[in-house]
Amino acid sequence: MAYISMGEVHRRITEYLNGFADAVSSQDGGSLARLLSLSSNSPSLLSLADALNVFQDANRLIKQSDKCSQFAEIIVPLFRSLQNYRLGNLVDAYHAFEKSSNAFVQEFRNWESAWALEALHVIAYEIRVLAEKADRELASSGKSPEKLKGAGSFLMKVFGVLAGKGPKRVGALYVTCQLFKIYFKLGTVHLCRSVIRSIETARIFDFEEFPRRDKVTYMYYTGRLEVFNENFTAADDKLSYALTHCNLLKEANIRMILKYLIPVKLSLGILPKSCLLEKYDLLEYSNVVLALKRGDLRLLRRALQEHEDQFLRSGVYLVLEKLELQVYQRLLKKIYIIQKQKDPSKAHQLKLEIIVKALKWLEMDMDLDEVECIMTILIYKNLVKGYFAHKSKVVVLSKQDPFPKLNGKPVSS
Amino acid sequence: MMNQGGNIQTVAALDPSSAQVKNRYVVDENQAQTSFYPSAVTSSEPASWNVQSVANHFTENGNISNPTYHHVQYVDSSTRQDGTNSAAVATSSSLATTNVQQDYSSYASYPSSTDPYGYGSAGYPGYHNSYQQQPNSSYSQPVGAYQNTGAPYQPLSSFQNTGSYVGPASYSSTYYNPGDYQTAGGYPSSSYSHQTTTWNGGNYANYTTPQYSSYTADTTGAYASVNVASTSLHYQQHYKQWADYYNQTEVSCAPGTENLNVSTTSNQVCQVPGVSGGYLPTSNSQTTPSFTPSWRPESSSSQTPSLTPSQTPSLQPSVAVSGAYDNYWKHGAPSFQNQQASPMRPYFQKPLESKTSYDNFQEQQKAACPQGLNLQYPSAHQAPQSCHQPMQPLPSLDAQRTSKLQIQTNPRIASNLPLGLQKTDKDSSNNNAAAKPAYISVSFPKSNQKVLPNDAADSVLKPGVFPKSLRVYVERALASCKDDTQKAACQAIMKEIITKATADGTLSTKDWDNEPLFPLLNADMVDKDLQSSTPASLPKYKMSPSRRSKSRWEPLPQEKSVDKLASMNNDTAKFGGWIHASEKDKKPMSGNLESKSDGFSNTRFSLMEQKSASKPFQRPVKRQCLIDRNATDNGDASSDSDKEQSLTAYYSSAIALANTPEERKRRENRSKRFERAQGNRAVINHFKTKNIGTGNLYTRRASAMVLSKSFEDGGGRAVEDIDWDALTVKGTCQEIEKRYLRLTSAPDPSTVRPEEVLEKALLMVQNSQKNYLYKCDQLKSIRQDLTVQRVRNQLTVKVYETHARLALEVGDLPEYNQCQSQLKILYAEGIKGCHMEFAAYNLLGVILHSNNKRELLSSMARLSDEAKKDRAVQHALAVRAAVTSGNYVMFFRLYKTAPNLNTSLMDLYVEKMRYKAVSCMSRSYRPTVPVSYVAQVLGFASTVPSIEGIDDKDSDGLEECVEWLKAHGACLVAENNGEVQLDAKASSSSLYMPEPEDAVAHGDANLAVNDFLTRTPS
Repeated sequence: MAYISMGEVHRRITEYLNGFADAVSSQDGGSLARLLSLSSNSPSLLSLADALNVFQDANRLIKQSDKCSQFAEIIVPLFRSLQNYRLGNLVDAYHAFEKSSNAFVQEFRNWESAWALEALHVIAYEIRVLAEKADRELASSGKSPEKLKGAGSFLMKVFGVLAGKGPKRVGALYVTCQLFKIYFKLGTVHLCRSVIRSIETARIFDFEEFPRRDKVTYMYYTGRLEVFNENFTAADDKLSYALTHCNLLKEANIRMILKYLIPVKLSLGILPKSCLLEKYDLLEYSNVVLALKRGDLRLLRRALQEHEDQFLRSGVYLVLEKLELQVYQRLLKKIYIIQKQKDPSKAHQLKLEIIVKALKWLEMDMDLDEVECIMTILIYKNLVKGYFAHKSKVVVLSKQDPFPKLNGKPVSS
Repeated sequence: MMNQGGNIQTVAALDPSSAQVKNRYVVDENQAQTSFYPSAVTSSEPASWNVQSVANHFTENGNISNPTYHHVQYVDSSTRQDGTNSAAVATSSSLATTNVQQDYSSYASYPSSTDPYGYGSAGYPGYHNSYQQQPNSSYSQPVGAYQNTGAPYQPLSSFQNTGSYVGPASYSSTYYNPGDYQTAGGYPSSSYSHQTTTWNGGNYANYTTPQYSSYTADTTGAYASVNVASTSLHYQQHYKQWADYYNQTEVSCAPGTENLNVSTTSNQVCQVPGVSGGYLPTSNSQTTPSFTPSWRPESSSSQTPSLTPSQTPSLQPSVAVSGAYDNYWKHGAPSFQNQQASPMRPYFQKPLESKTSYDNFQEQQKAACPQGLNLQYPSAHQAPQSCHQPMQPLPSLDAQRTSKLQIQTNPRIASNLPLGLQKTDKDSSNNNAAAKPAYISVSFPKSNQKVLPNDAADSVLKPGVFPKSLRVYVERALASCKDDTQKAACQAIMKEIITKATADGTLSTKDWDNEPLFPLLNADMVDKDLQSSTPASLPKYKMSPSRRSKSRWEPLPQEKSVDKLASMNNDTAKFGGWIHASEKDKKPMSGNLESKSDGFSNTRFSLMEQKSASKPFQRPVKRQCLIDRNATDNGDASSDSDKEQSLTAYYSSAIALANTPEERKRRENRSKRFERAQGNRAVINHFKTKNIGTGNLYTRRASAMVLSKSFEDGGGRAVEDIDWDALTVKGTCQEIEKRYLRLTSAPDPSTVRPEEVLEKALLMVQNSQKNYLYKCDQLKSIRQDLTVQRVRNQLTVKVYETHARLALEVGDLPEYNQCQSQLKILYAEGIKGCHMEFAAYNLLGVILHSNNKRELLSSMARLSDEAKKDRAVQHALAVRAAVTSGNYVMFFRLYKTAPNLNTSLMDLYVEKMRYKAVSCMSRSYRPTVPVSYVAQVLGFASTVPSIEGIDDKDSDGLEECVEWLKAHGACLVAENNGEVQLDAKASSSSLYMPEPEDAVAHGDANLAVNDFLTRTPS
């Protein structure tokens, strides 16, 4: 490490302290946020961290500064966090940062206006990122990673500070989104419910008044939750909202949204154009779409198998699997059309044998009972209109609209 | 932390007075203690409980301000009581033991009270549901409990009950009265009543304290309870009373916590006024100053006939007793309780047995109390149950009923709890005897007796050390507790008091006789009284008073009374049992009085014990009597009771012993914390006396445990401070067979089996021809020993795997889930085992039971490629595909070809799948579909190959299918050729899912002990 003179050390530290005090006194949330943004790796913070590592008695400086001494509770652990962060002790950095953040939130409570929201958001973000890093460090040393959980409960507290009535509420959605990120990462999505409830049931604050980026993030995560619940209509609404309000230049975000929106749309019977899949690099869905178009069960199963891990991880596997019934429907429709060309008068009677044969061509080895079962399910789910005559083993199709389109409605369960 | 915060807030809202704040603090301490306690000692489960309760609490605060409020108060009062009680106990040298028990009970009470709220979304509704159910079954419940006791492996049943928290309470009620469950309509009203009850409790507490000092005060207390039941006005009255209470508490309690001397004087003074204040409001409604008159009018006017008779009788006897007691109290009778415990056991057993199932329940309760472990669970259950019962029978009576119910519930809970405990109770008889008196008159001195039994068992050991007066005082305090929860709280308070007193050196100098009691949650006590009274008929009551009078003066007549009871009619027998208990209590008291000197009391104890030992022989006869009575009352009960009898002896001795030592240990620990030298000595003395006395009754092992525990106590380590790492033991026990007993304290190496022995034990279980309950018990003990020794290797995996398979075979899902979750951890640590097999089970479990898409996805994503090639896993995945797509044909094919025990898990989904399939079929097929086809596709009977041949098999399956279809509302038509067809169109609108016959409120029929036993191949 390059040698830093004591005077330089003093200068850097006092500079920071002055900056902090000025930001608070002038209620400048932006510059305060910059002072707190640990992971921004801004040169000023880095040099401060170096200085702190040389100079061990920063606390005295803080206490001496009359402007900053009242914020010692915030700044002392913050400096410690900064030091540790710089040295790569992420767990210690997290601990110190959480302490500092707690003190900050305490202070924030006392500020009547919401000027420091930006700084608070930085803290919410930093604590999450820091916790993730600390967890990685913990996991690599064989300890149980639990910092992210701790960050979650801290953010829950922050949420409590913001969620009330008043000008600070506008910042609540940002914290909510940070919470979502934590919960999704931890796999404890059920914890989202309480936050969602408090966001959606509050009459005192219109959802549209939240910042747009927060709204999009929020809709994205709640939409994903609806996908988990296989609540496709709601998922479609939320994800579509996120898509339409998303910054068009942020292709990565659009891709993330589409990753869930496409399966949802598919299960509502709406197929994407292949250029969309290409543009956003979502080609794993292309075979699925193709299978739906062709009624090719084999293709669907192959596509699912091929990307199984990916689909399982993103959580759309079960959604895509359910498309099978639509593929069957398509297949039946094809058979029906062919029959109609041959003999229009008998076209509405689909013999079970023929269907089994068609499946055989697709290398689907299914016997009569199984196919019969699938036919009954198709009829039951209203993908096919008609009935099944058990005696003659024939699917008798309705003469009117035998294969109703979903048109944005989910398959009835 | 949350709890504390909640409490504080609520308290503040109620009364911002400083006294309350103090109260709150006390509560907090207790809570903290309780939470630490279980977590440290037993396992993670208790801890989780606490968390739950906390959570509930929290929600309550947010949603329902009133309930929380009451709740909090309740807790406060109880805790205070504990402090006093415990203190008293400590003085009497039984300190350590009593304290332990108290802690437990308090702990239990706390969760229970909170839990009920948490049940419903609103919290309250749920609570009330349970409430209402119980009342109906008040009579039947005892029977149920009785049966439970009868079950050979009680530990199992108890365990299950504990596992599902909500379940137990609702379970019993549903089991016996399915209708009640649904009918619980009056939520609001019930909740209201509940509140009132709590208030009563507060009032009651005030009164109880006075009881000892002034007789009239006691009666007033009783009155107050009655009043509450009758009118809504009570609420306000109570409220005032509470205020009074608080005022009193300010003076008395605050000092009490910190300085015993101060508290005593102040308490006395304050309490009297408080009582009078509380009394006045009540008196308006029931002006009569004398007990008996006031009771009678009330009963006649306000309550249903059934209730009234019971109440009146119960009260009268109690009054008489109290009258008798007054003298006693003054004279220093108080000592009797401690001493009683030992003598009581033997004598009481007989009476209890003779009593009806009801009595047994009570006994069970008592038993549960002594055993610290069991208590936690039971208490939680108890609270809700008790509430339910009162509500249903008489809406107006709600408050009283609730209170009554509580009493009943307690027994019930106990019954639900480990059977072993019940048995122990019977065997040990200490608990039973003590408990019975409590039934009769909760509010009165007798109630003390009830409570005392628990303490008594503990205290018995320590009679010599503490002054009699202190003992009496403790007894009094305990007597005033009607609930386990109260007792627990009481015990905690007493502990504190005693410890302080010992620390101050005022233990022996203090005037314990005049020391005021801490205010208890009286509501519960009243309730108990009512409950007891309800079942009983007037004649019984009459009997009781007369006996009591005799007993007072004649210490020995107990045996006679028991015999008399046996000869009595069923009804009388029930009551008689209670009476006996009370009599017994009295008798022991008299004996104690005579032998006031400490040395004397000790000798007496031993004598008493000997007597008790000799009595067991008489038991059988009495039991038979019981059985007969049961038979008359309930046919079912009798068989259970038989089982009970046989099994009781088995479990009882071991359990009882274990309990006492453990409790002692805890108490010792605590006492040591405060005063190292004194407490230890006292404890040791205790042990010695106990050992001598108990030598006959208890097994070698038990004594060993006691000794070891005393040893540990000597170390002076508080249970809360136990470091599990340091306590990892190396077992030395060479016995292959060992019953499961949940640890409440540090394990004793001499009872823990080393790994080699455990291996043999596992082999023994695997080759055993005995039934599942036996095996489960054994496996649990093996698991315990492994855990205690921190053995985590292939043997551990093997044990869990074996247990999980056995559990699956008999459909014991709770146990299976325990094993499965442990196995997950063990496999994750890289320990080899049948990983694939259990991965498949896990998948099936998620698919078929949790229906949680996320969980399913994550467990699918976790499967390794290797796992996906495994046959069992593939099967499970195929089942998943069949279920998600609704492919019933595939499902039942897989069902028939399931490897390992996959079938067992699929079994649990078959009904649902069939129903789905038939509704799908009836929607899709036209016009008809042959039933034979349905039977074939839906896997009817083909899984159970019959001996007769294929034709029979088919027809069997067909028949079964027809039955099933009919049961589900399908329309069947017979064709000309005789083939039965399913009329699809008609069926599509008529299908329904019938209420499962074995449905239980908590949703897991496996928790129904009787059902479970019948299903288990023995």
